[in-house]
Amino acid sequence: MKLSKQAVASLVVAVSVAGAAVAVVAAEAFHERHMAMEAVGDAMKPLGAIAKKQAPFDAAVVKANATTIADSLKKASALFPAGSGGGESRAKPEIWTDAAGFEKGMKDAHAAAVALQSVSDEAAFGPALGALGSTCKGCHDKYRLPKQ
Amino acid sequence: MKARSLVKLLAALVTLLVAGAVAFWLLTRPQPLPAAAIPTHQVDLRNGETLYHAGSCLACHRAPEGAPGADRGLPAGGTPFPTPVGVFYPQNLTPDAETGLGRWSEIDFVNAMRLGISPHRTHYFPAFPYASYRSMTMADLLDLRAYLMSLPAVSSPSREAAVPMVALARRGVGLWKRLAFRQPTFSPEPGRTPSWTRGAYLANAPGHCGECHTPKDWLMVADETRHMAGGAHPGGEGKVPSLRGLVPRKKYEDVDDLVLALQNGETLGYEDLSSGGMAAIQENLARLPESDVRAISEYLLSLR
Repeated sequence: MKLSKQAVASLVVAVSVAGAAVAVVAAEAFHERHMAMEAVGDAMKPLGAIAKKQAPFDAAVVKANATTIADSLKKASALFPAGSGGGESRAKPEIWTDAAGFEKGMKDAHAAAVALQSVSDEAAFGPALGALGSTCKGCHDKYRLPKQ
Repeated sequence: MKARSLVKLLAALVTLLVAGAVAFWLLTRPQPLPAAAIPTHQVDLRNGETLYHAGSCLACHRAPEGAPGADRGLPAGGTPFPTPVGVFYPQNLTPDAETGLGRWSEIDFVNAMRLGISPHRTHYFPAFPYASYRSMTMADLLDLRAYLMSLPAVSSPSREAAVPMVALARRGVGLWKRLAFRQPTFSPEPGRTPSWTRGAYLANAPGHCGECHTPKDWLMVADETRHMAGGAHPGGEGKVPSLRGLVPRKKYEDVDDLVLALQNGETLGYEDLSSGGMAAIQENLARLPESDVRAISEYLLSLR
């Protein structure tokens, strides 16, 4: 059972490298999902402006932004590997302790964004945007920490 | 000679301890108002409902998912309220006789809201924000009580707080009140519009915004020199943002913008309003008459 000094040293190096790799993956996931979520936030702005009557209703603008939101949400939902919370991230541990609930929330949000893509008249726009907004809110309330 | 001085020392110590315990007992004695403090009053249920929403009572006093009353949005209480001090279980506010406010007299309700004293003459922990509610007018308190008594009754027994040495801690709250109640209660500022004054009252008294948005000192008393300047999150989840300078800091464009934000929250993309428990507050504020939401917004945007 005697291990040579070299073997111990290699083991230590291997474990550290693996640990560092996990940390890098987690940091990268955090960075990428943050960008995706920022894209969602940016795409919500022109839609909010229409809802607030600060901009005219334009089905093309709605479709383009709803598409960005749906795509970004799909991208982000795959970027929450275990251990990627903490530090600068506002992700709450509930994302991983209640993984099923989190996944459902992401799916609901994506579905609401897809539904918004095909809205062609102003009367249907408000309720569709409201539906999408409530899915954002439902998840943020449960799974996102306040700003630090 | 030596033994005698030891006895003397012991006697002095015991005297000091007894004196300390007596002083603690006297200083922490709950002193409720007598029933005669209730004026004659014409109940206004609609005003009561407005105050119920302004105080976001339901945000804390809701029933846990699946419990009786939860599906109907009734304030049956019991949802755990975790804080760094311990876990609190908010009271059932429905008029159930055994477990709710059914047997509470008007003065019981006023003593709870104004002085944080229960009908059993014990102190409430200040997780129940009576330090703010004590600024509410007597008429508003009576209307709020009448509104709560008009709700359907739900049976939901209270549960003692999970706090270390809970009985002693509860009594000790009496000392805390001596400090916290030294802060002045809300009073209107001269030269302000009626709408601003209404908003300031709603935000500070029933709305209790400062309970989270004003930082607390080391004795857990609100530091009013930094009114609404942001503080630690009561659930320990990072920080609660400052409400000062919301326009210069580009959080909101103007009063209209903040009105839309409070009425719609993230359904209109105002994403700052959905974290740390603010989403539930926003949903309650959205049920206020628009003039009141506007008044609150006008007041908040005046904070520099």
